[in-house]
Amino acid sequence: MKFKIFAAFIGPSVIMMILFIAFPLFSVFKQSFYLTQPIYELMDVETCTPGFITQSCVTETQSIPKLDEHGEIITQTKFVGLQSYRNVLELERAWDALSSGNWAGFGAIDFWKALRFTLTFTLITLPLVLGAGLGIALMINNAAKSVRGPVIFVSLLPFIITPVIGALSINWLFRGDGILTAAIEWYLQRDIAMFAQAWTIEVLMMLYRVWHVAPFAAIVFYAGLQTVNQDSLESAIIDGASRWQRLKYIIIPHLMPLIVFISMIHLMDSYRVFEEIVGFSSQGHVISLQWLTYDFLVPDQAGNRSISRASASAMLTMIGIALLLVPLLRRTWRDHHGGH
Amino acid sequence: MSARALQQPLSLRLTSGVFLAMWCVIAAFPILWIMVQSFKVPVDAYDSNALNVILGPETLARGHGMSLFQILIGAAMLWLTFHLARKTLPSLVHQVFDSGVQWIGWVIGVLALTIGAIVALFGVVPWLAGLLDPYLGPFGTNVIGVTTEHYKTVWVERGFFRNFQNSLIVTAGVVAISLSVGTLAGYGLARSGSKLAFWILIIALIFRALPHSVLVAGYLPVFISSSEWLAPILGENAPTLYGKPFAVIAVLVAINQPFTIWMLRSFFQNIPAELDEAARVDGCSHFQAFRRVIMPVMWPGVITTGLFSFLLAYNDFLVTSLLLDAQNQTMVPAIAGMFNRETTTTDQVVAVAAAVSITAPLFFLVMAFQRQIVSGLTAGAVKG
Amino acid sequence: MTLKTLMAAAAVAMSSTAAFAGCAIDNTVPLKSLSAGFEAWKAVTDAMGECGSFEASLDQEFREKQPEAFAADPSLYQIGGVANSTMIPLLNAGSIRPLDDLVAKYGQNLTPNQLIRVDGKVMAIAMMVNAQHMMYRSDILDDLGIAEPTTWDEVFAAAETIQAAGVVDYPLGGTFKTGWNLGEEFVNMYLGEGGSFIGEGNMPTINNAQGVAALETMKAMTAYMDPEYLVSDSTYVQQQFQQGKIAMANLWASRAAAMDDAAESQVVGMVTMSAAPNGSAAPASSLWWDGLVFASNMSDAEAEAAFQVAMEGIDSDMVAANNDAAVWLIPGYTPGKLAAGAAATAANGAAPYPASGPMGIMHTALGNGIADYLNGAKDAETTLADIEAAYLTAAKEAGLVQ
Repeated sequence: MKFKIFAAFIGPSVIMMILFIAFPLFSVFKQSFYLTQPIYELMDVETCTPGFITQSCVTETQSIPKLDEHGEIITQTKFVGLQSYRNVLELERAWDALSSGNWAGFGAIDFWKALRFTLTFTLITLPLVLGAGLGIALMINNAAKSVRGPVIFVSLLPFIITPVIGALSINWLFRGDGILTAAIEWYLQRDIAMFAQAWTIEVLMMLYRVWHVAPFAAIVFYAGLQTVNQDSLESAIIDGASRWQRLKYIIIPHLMPLIVFISMIHLMDSYRVFEEIVGFSSQGHVISLQWLTYDFLVPDQAGNRSISRASASAMLTMIGIALLLVPLLRRTWRDHHGGH
Repeated sequence: MSARALQQPLSLRLTSGVFLAMWCVIAAFPILWIMVQSFKVPVDAYDSNALNVILGPETLARGHGMSLFQILIGAAMLWLTFHLARKTLPSLVHQVFDSGVQWIGWVIGVLALTIGAIVALFGVVPWLAGLLDPYLGPFGTNVIGVTTEHYKTVWVERGFFRNFQNSLIVTAGVVAISLSVGTLAGYGLARSGSKLAFWILIIALIFRALPHSVLVAGYLPVFISSSEWLAPILGENAPTLYGKPFAVIAVLVAINQPFTIWMLRSFFQNIPAELDEAARVDGCSHFQAFRRVIMPVMWPGVITTGLFSFLLAYNDFLVTSLLLDAQNQTMVPAIAGMFNRETTTTDQVVAVAAAVSITAPLFFLVMAFQRQIVSGLTAGAVKG
Repeated sequence: MTLKTLMAAAAVAMSSTAAFAGCAIDNTVPLKSLSAGFEAWKAVTDAMGECGSFEASLDQEFREKQPEAFAADPSLYQIGGVANSTMIPLLNAGSIRPLDDLVAKYGQNLTPNQLIRVDGKVMAIAMMVNAQHMMYRSDILDDLGIAEPTTWDEVFAAAETIQAAGVVDYPLGGTFKTGWNLGEEFVNMYLGEGGSFIGEGNMPTINNAQGVAALETMKAMTAYMDPEYLVSDSTYVQQQFQQGKIAMANLWASRAAAMDDAAESQVVGMVTMSAAPNGSAAPASSLWWDGLVFASNMSDAEAEAAFQVAMEGIDSDMVAANNDAAVWLIPGYTPGKLAAGAAATAANGAAPYPASGPMGIMHTALGNGIADYLNGAKDAETTLADIEAAYLTAAKEAGLVQ
C-alpha cells in the first residue's frame, strides 16, 4: 500500500488522536517540569460575613494575586526540573523510613501507599479475571444450546452496567446494615463492618472489579472456544488424553492470543483504578495512583490546584503502565512482523 | 466430532451447571436488587431486612401494591418482550432490510420495541389489573408493595427526558463517527506492514493506557475560552466549545479511537487480503476495493466494535460531567448529581429509579445484539 | 404510572420551560446561572426561572467550572451561586462585580446582614446560613434522665449512658467521610479550642496543643460511632437518624427538616435541635453562608436584568414557599424549632469559617491526613506534622509560601 493511500485511510483517526490525546499529553509532560504561579501581594482586607442576626467583620492580612491592566491574574512560569517529581515521590522521606526499617512509615507516604495498592490490585485481579472468565466460558460452552443465549445475556449484565451505578449498587449491599452484610452477620453470628478496615474494603474493590470485567473475558474466550480445531480435539481423545490434558495442551494454547489480549486490556484498566476508590469512598484507607493524580488536580474550595504535581504523577503512572506492558508489546512486535 | 466422544459424565455436567447457575445469580443480583429498591418507598428500600425490601410492607400500607394477577400478566409481558427481542426482531430485520441498511432496521426495531415494552408494562398491565382485580378474589388482592412514583418523579417532574435525548445524541454521534473513522484506519493498518503502522499501533496502545482525568481536566479551560482563541480563524461566530454536545462527541471519539482501531485492525487482518487484491487486479482503487469487497463482509466486526463504542459513550461520566452544561447534560452525570447534592432518602430512591431506567436500554441492546457480539468476536475481532 | 402520565411526560419534554408566574418582572435578557445543586438553590433558581429567559445550571462540578467560566469574556454565566470559600477564587481573579450601585437601585428588600462586604464594597448577596449543630433524640435523653449536652465532655457522658442502656446501635453519629467532611470536622473542633490555622507568611500553625486536643476529641467520638465512620457523609448520618440508629450528632442545619419528614423518617418529632457543643474556647462549629455573585464580564444592561431576576429569586414569596429548606437570611423567614440549633450556635459565638486561599489548601490537607490518626497509623503530633508538611508542599507550589 502506498504511503499516500495509507495516510488517507488512517488520516482522520490519527488527526483526532493528535488533537485530543497527543496535544494534551504533551502539555502534561511539559507542565511536569514547570511551575506556574500567580504573583501575590499582602494586603489588609476587611471582610464582613453574615451571622444569624448580625454581621461580623474582620480585618486580616491576606495574600491577594496581582491583576494586570486587563484584569487578569499575573502569573510567572519557571522551570523547576524534577522538583515536582521529587514532591510526588518524597524519596528522602521514603528512604529514611526504609533505612530505619519503618515499613508503616514508608506505607504512609501517599505515592508509595498508592503504588502499593495499585500494584496489588492489578496483580491480584488479573489471574482472577482470567480464571473466572475462562471458567465461565467453559461452563457456557458446556451448557445445553437452548440455555446459552439467556446465560450469555445474564453474564454480560455486570459488564454493560454503568460503572458508577454498579459500584454504588455493590456499595449499598455491604455498607452499614446493607443486606449482604446483614446476611453474613446472621451466618457468622457476629457484628461486622465491611467499610471499617482497609483489607475488607480492598477485598470488596477487587471483587467488584472481577465481577465487572470477568464477563468481558468470558465472552471473548467463549468466542474463541467456538473456533477450537475439532480435529485435534478428536485425535487427542483417541490418544486417550484426559479432559485436563486436552484443556492444557489444546484449548489454552489456542486461546493464548485472547489471553494476551485480555491481560493487556486488564493491566491497562486496572492500573488506572479510580472508580472503585470513589464509589467505595475508600480514601481514608487505601488510595490508587490515578486517585492521587485526580486529587492533585481537582481544585479545593478556594480554587487552588497542584497542576505540576498532578502532571508529574500522571507521567509516573504512564511509565508504570508502559513497564507492565513491555512483555506483551514484544509479542505484538513479533506478530506484526510474522503476520505479513 | 461424534456425539459420544463429547459425552461428559453426569457429575461433571451437574457441577458445571450448578456453578453456572451460581454465576448467573452473582451477575444479576446487584442489578435486580436496585431494581427492586426503585419500586419501594424509602423506608422499605433501605430496610436492613431483605424480606421487607422485597415485600415492601410499608409501601403496601400506603396503598401501592400489586396483585398476583398483575404479577402474572407483568411476567408474561416481560417474557414476550424478551422473546421478541431475541427471536422475532433479528429475523424481521433480516427479511425487510437489505444488508447495507440493516442498521436502520435495528434502530427502528429497538426503538419500537422499547416504547412498546414501556407502554405495555406501565400502561396496559396496571390498566388491565385495575379492571379485573375486583373480580378475582384472592388473586386480585395486593400482595407485594410496589410503587412507580419514583419513576414518575424522574421522568415527569425532573424532566429526565431531556437528559435522555442528550444521551441519545452523544451516543449516536460517538458510535457513528468512531466507526467511520476507525474502520478506515483499521483497514489501512491491517493492510500495511510498514514500521509506521506498527508504531501508530503502539502509540495508540499507550494512549489507551493514559489516565483520562488528566486529559479531561486539560480540556476545560481551552473549551471555555474557545470563542476567544478561535475568533482569529472563525471570526464573530466562533463557538464556545464548552457545553456543546459535538465537542464532547469529538473528545469521546478520540479517547475511544485506540481501542476501536485495534479491534478493527485484528478483524480486517482475518479477512483474506486476496479478496481486495483480486478486486484491485480488476481495476478498482484501494477505496473502491474497500467499499465493494470489504464493506459487505465487515459488519460482524463493526457491530461488535460499535457496541463497545456505544457502552463507552453511554456510560461515560468523566468527560460528560465536566464538559457539558446543565442544558446539554447526559443521563449519567445527571444521576450522579442526584446522588451527590444534599440528598434526602427519597432523592436517593429517585436516583436509583433513574439508574434502573438508564440500564433498561442497555438490556434491550444486549438482548438484540447478543448473537452479533459473539459472532463478531468469533470472526476474529479479538485475535490479539 | 399510567399512559396519561407518560403522555404528560412527553408533553413536558416538548414544551418550552418558560413560564410567567409569581414574578413581578418580565425578563427578556437571556440569563444563565451556575451554582451548587442542593435544595435551597433549586428553590431559588426555580423562582428566578419564573421571570423568563433564565436557565439554571445546578452542577455538582460548579466549583471546578466557575472560575474558568466567569473569567471568560463575555462570562458564560451572569449569576453565580457561591459559599464563603468558593467566592475566593472569583474574588481573587476579579471576575465578579461590586454591587453597591445595583443594591442601591434594586435592593430595597435586602437586609444589611445579607450584604457581603469586602473592603467596604458589596461583592455578594447572602441568602442563607448553615452550620453544624447538635441534634439529639429528646425521647431517649429524657428517658435516661440526661440533660441537653452543651460541652463535648457532657456529650461523651451522655453517649456512655446511652451505650450502656443499649437503646440505639450507636450513640453518636458524625460526618467523618475522608476528604472535605473530615477536614470540616477538624475545623469545627479546632475552632472550638480557639486555634488558628494560618500564621505569618501563610505558615501553618496547627501543630500545637489545641490541634492535639481537637484530634483527641475526634478520636473519643469514634468510640461511640459506627465503625464505618470514614465513609459516612451527611446523607448517611441523616439516614441513620431517620432509621433510629443513632441518638446524637453534630449535623448540618440544612438537614434538620429531614428528621421530621414523615415520608422517610421513623423519628418524626423526636429530634431536638440545639447549639453545637462547646470546646474549651468556643462552640465547635463554623458558620457558613451561601449567596449570589454577578460576573464582571457582562454588559451593564445584563447586570441590571440579572440582579433584578436574582432579587425575585430570593424574595419573601420564595421563602414562604420553602420556609424549611434552609436557614434563610431573607425577610419573611420564620425560624421554627428546626432553626433553633443554628440560631443558638451563632448566639454562643461560633466563628465564621475562615475562608481564604491558604485555608483551601489546609482544608484539603486536613481532610486527607486525619484518617491516619483515627486509624491508629500515626500519633497526634506526627499526624499534625505530616499535615503541615503536605500543606507546605502544596502552598509552595501555589506560590503562597516562599
